Amino acid sequence: MISFGHALAFAGALFVLGLTCVLLHRQILMILIGVEIMLNGASLVFVAASAYWQQVDGQVFALLLMAITAAEVAVALAMVVYLWRRKRTLVADEFNRMRG
Amino acid sequence: MATVLFYILGFTMLAATLLCITRRNPVHAVIYLVAGLFALALMFYLLGAPLVAAWQVIVYAGAIMVLFLFIIMMLGLAPQDVPEGPSWQRWGPLALLSSSIMICTLLLIFKDPMAGQQIDDFYLAPQVLGEALFSRYALAVEIVSFQLLFATIGAYMLGRPLPKGEDQ
Amino acid sequence: MNESLLFLILLLPLFCAVFNMLFGMRLPRLFTEVMAVIGVAGAFVLTLLFWGYAEGDGSRAVLFTWLNSGTLNVSFALNFDRLAAPMTLMVTGVATLIHLYAVGYMREEDDYARFFSLLNLFVFAMLVIVLADNLLVLFLGWEGVGFCSYGLIGFWYRKLENAKAGTKAFLVTRVGDVFLGIAMLWLFALTGTLSISAINAQAALISPGVVIVLSLLLLLGACGKSAQLPLMTWLADAMAGPTPVSALIHAATMVTAGVYLLCRFFPLVSLSAVAMTAITAIGALTAIYAASCAMAQRDIKRVLAYSTMSQVGYMFMAVGAGTVAGAMFHLLTHAFFKAVLFMAAGCIIHLGGGENNIFKMGGLARRGPAELFWVFLAGAVCLAGLPLTGGFFSKDSILLALYTYPDPVYRVFWLIGIVTALLTSFYTFRLVYLVFAGEWRGSGHPHALPLLMRWPLWPLALLGLAGGMFNLPAFLGGGEALHHWYGTMAGRMLTASHDVEWMLAGLAAAIAVVGWFAAHWRYRTYQAPLENALSRFLLSGWQADALVDRFFIRPFNAMALFSWIGCDRTLFDGSLEGLARTATRCGALLLKITTGRLTTYLSAFAWGFLILLGWFLLKLVEGGGH
Repeated sequence: MISFGHALAFAGALFVLGLTCVLLHRQILMILIGVEIMLNGASLVFVAASAYWQQVDGQVFALLLMAITAAEVAVALAMVVYLWRRKRTLVADEFNRMRG
Repeated sequence: MATVLFYILGFTMLAATLLCITRRNPVHAVIYLVAGLFALALMFYLLGAPLVAAWQVIVYAGAIMVLFLFIIMMLGLAPQDVPEGPSWQRWGPLALLSSSIMICTLLLIFKDPMAGQQIDDFYLAPQVLGEALFSRYALAVEIVSFQLLFATIGAYMLGRPLPKGEDQ
Repeated sequence: MNESLLFLILLLPLFCAVFNMLFGMRLPRLFTEVMAVIGVAGAFVLTLLFWGYAEGDGSRAVLFTWLNSGTLNVSFALNFDRLAAPMTLMVTGVATLIHLYAVGYMREEDDYARFFSLLNLFVFAMLVIVLADNLLVLFLGWEGVGFCSYGLIGFWYRKLENAKAGTKAFLVTRVGDVFLGIAMLWLFALTGTLSISAINAQAALISPGVVIVLSLLLLLGACGKSAQLPLMTWLADAMAGPTPVSALIHAATMVTAGVYLLCRFFPLVSLSAVAMTAITAIGALTAIYAASCAMAQRDIKRVLAYSTMSQVGYMFMAVGAGTVAGAMFHLLTHAFFKAVLFMAAGCIIHLGGGENNIFKMGGLARRGPAELFWVFLAGAVCLAGLPLTGGFFSKDSILLALYTYPDPVYRVFWLIGIVTALLTSFYTFRLVYLVFAGEWRGSGHPHALPLLMRWPLWPLALLGLAGGMFNLPAFLGGGEALHHWYGTMAGRMLTASHDVEWMLAGLAAAIAVVGWFAAHWRYRTYQAPLENALSRFLLSGWQADALVDRFFIRPFNAMALFSWIGCDRTLFDGSLEGLARTATRCGALLLKITTGRLTTYLSAFAWGFLILLGWFLLKLVEGGGH
C-alpha cells in the first residue's frame, strides 16, 4: 500500500528540484527543462489524488496538463530559436532590454 | 511488491532529475530527464493510470524531449556555445532557498492528516477515462485543442525568417 | 416709415463691417471701399430721413429684449431725441467724409478689408452710444469703441510701438470703463432699471450724497474715453494709427463719447453742484494742461492730439457750467475743424514723404497745392478761435457760461479758459507758420495726393468756418438755433446783458489775435526748437507717462514680479517640484530593482514563493494548536 503523503512528497520533491533547476541555470534551454520538471511534479499530484479519491478527474487533468505543456514547449522552443537568431546566445541575462 | 516498486521508482526518478539539473551540457540533461520521466510514467501506472502513463512516455519522453534534442542539434550548440554552467558560488544561497522550500513543502504535506492515509488499489480503464474526457470534459478538451492550434500558429510566426536588419 | 426703422441707422454700418470682415479680401478692392463708404453714408442719409422723429420728445424704439432675468430687464432700446439727432448726423456725416478720405489714404495698404471693417465697426459702436436708451446697450457701444480704437491705433501692428499704443489706449480707457461699470451697477441697484430716460426721470429721488458719487463715477468714465485728466495719456500715443483713424477718434467717434455721456446724464449730474464743479475743474485743468503740452510738441499729429484734449476740456467745462447746448455746439464745430486739421495733416505728411516733425517741414504753402494751405488755415483759425469762425462762437458761448455762472469759483475756470484760448491761438499759428512758412527743411520725397484725399476737406472746412451759424448768439442778431433745438435739454439759459456779451466776445477775439501775433513774431522766420528743461517737460506731456510709470506700472510690475518669483515660482512651484523630485527619487530607487535580468525576477519569485509557503505553514501550526 502506497501512502498518500509519500506520493505527495515525491511530487513536492520533484517540483522543488525543477524550481532549483530554473533558478540555478542561466541558459534558457535548461530553464525550460526545469519548468518541465515542475510540471511533471504537478502531474504526479493529480494522478495520486485521482487514485486516492478513486476518481477519474485527476487523470483527466493530468492529460490536459500534458497537452498544455506540449503547446507551451512548442512556443517556448520557437522562441529559443528566435532568440538564438537574434543574438547568437542563449544566456537569459543577455536579453535585458526591459531594464528600467 | 507494487509498493516497494513505487518507492524504488520514486527515488530513481529523484536521482535522475538531480543528475539532470546539475548537468552543464543540455544534451546530457535531457537524457537524464528522459530516464526520470520513464520512472515517473511507471509510477503513474502503479497509481492506476495506464493511459496517462502511456502518454507520458509517448508525449513527454517521446515527443517533447526529442523536440528539445532536435532544437539543440538544429542550433548546433557546440560545446563552446554552451554557457558556463552553474557557478558553485551560486549554490550557497540557492541551496538554502531550495532546501527551505523543500522543508516547508514536506512539512505542509505531512502536517496534513490526509498524508498518513493509504491509497487503495485503483485501476482506471482507458475507456472510462476516454468517456469522461469526451463527455464531462469535452469543453476543456476543445479549449486545449484551440490552445494547441494557437501555439502552432505562434511557433510558426516566431519561426519565420527575421526581417532584414534585425539580426544581432 | 415708422420709428422702429431707426435700427437701420445702426444696422447699415454693422452690416458693411461684417460684410467686409467676411468677404472683403475676396472681392475687388473697389467693392470693399464702396461698401465701407455706403455703410456710413447710408446711415447719414437715414439720419436725415428720420430727422422728424427727433422733434418734440423724440422717439423711442424697442428692438428686442436683450436680457430678462428677474428684475433685470434690458431691452435693446434706441432713443432718437433732440440730443441724439445732431450727434448722429455729425458722426455719420463727418465719418462719411473721413471714409472717403481713407479710401484715398489707404490706397497702397494691403490689409484694407480689416481697416475698413474696423472703421465701420467703430462708427457703429459710436452710434450705439449715441442712440442707446439703455445703459447696458450704451456700455456695449462704449466697449465697442474701445475695442475698435485698439484695433485701429495698432493697425500697423508689425511695429511694436504701434501695437503698444493700441494696448495703451485700450487699457487706459478701460480704467474709465470700470468706473462707468460701477456707476451702471449702482444705478441699477438704486432705480431698478437701466433705461437712461427712466434713470434721469428718477434722478431727483436719489439722495444727494449718492448723486455726487455717481456723478463722479460717470465723470471718471467719461474722462477715460475723452482723454481728460487723469486718464489722458493714451490720446497722444494714439497717433500711431493711420491718420483717418486719428481724425475719426478726435472728431467723431471716440473722445466726444465722454462729453455725450455727461450730456445724456445731465439731469442726474446737474443735481449736484459738487459734481458740476468737479467736471468744470477737470475740464479746465485738462484744457490748460493740454494746451501747454501742445506748445512744445514737434509732431504735427501730437500737436493736434493735445489740442483735441484741450478742446474736449472746454466741452467738459461747458457741461460743468450747465450748458449742454454750449457743449454740444463746441463738440459739433470742433468735430468739423478737427477732422479738417487731421485730414490736412495727413496730406501734409503725405507731401513730406512721411515726415511728422514740424521742424522738418516748412514752405508747404508753395510746395504743396494751394488749396491745402487754405483748408488747413480754415481749420486752424477755427481752432484758434479767430472771430466769426465756428470755433470762435462755440468757445465764446462756453466762456460766457463760465463767466455768468453764479458760483464765484467759476471765474477762476473762466480765467483758465481765457489763458487756454491764448495758448491755443499761439500753438495753432505756430503750427501754421512752421508748416507753411519759410523754406522746405525736410528730406522726404513727396507722394502725390489722390483726389479723394483733397476734396472731402472742403465741406468740413466750410462747415467749420460757418459753424457759428448753428447757434449764432442773440446779441449778433442770431437765433441761437441749436439752443432752441435742444429746448428743455439745453441746460441753463445764459442770461447776460449784451454789454457783457460784447465785452467777452471782444476779449476772446483780442486773445485770439494776440496769440496769432505772438506766433507771428516768434515763428515768422524759422526758429529751431528750444531745448530747455521747460520745453522738455512740456514735450513729454508734463512727464505724465513717467508719473504713471512710477506710481502705477512699476509698483504693479513689482507686485506681479513678487507674485511670480516670490509666490508662484518659489512657494508653489518649489513645493510642487520638491514633491515631484521626491517622487522621482523614489521611482529611481524602484528603477534599480528592474534589472531586466530574467534570473533576478525568477529568484525574487522563488523567495516570494517561500514566504507564501511559510505563511501557510504558520497558519497550519496555529490551526493545529487549537
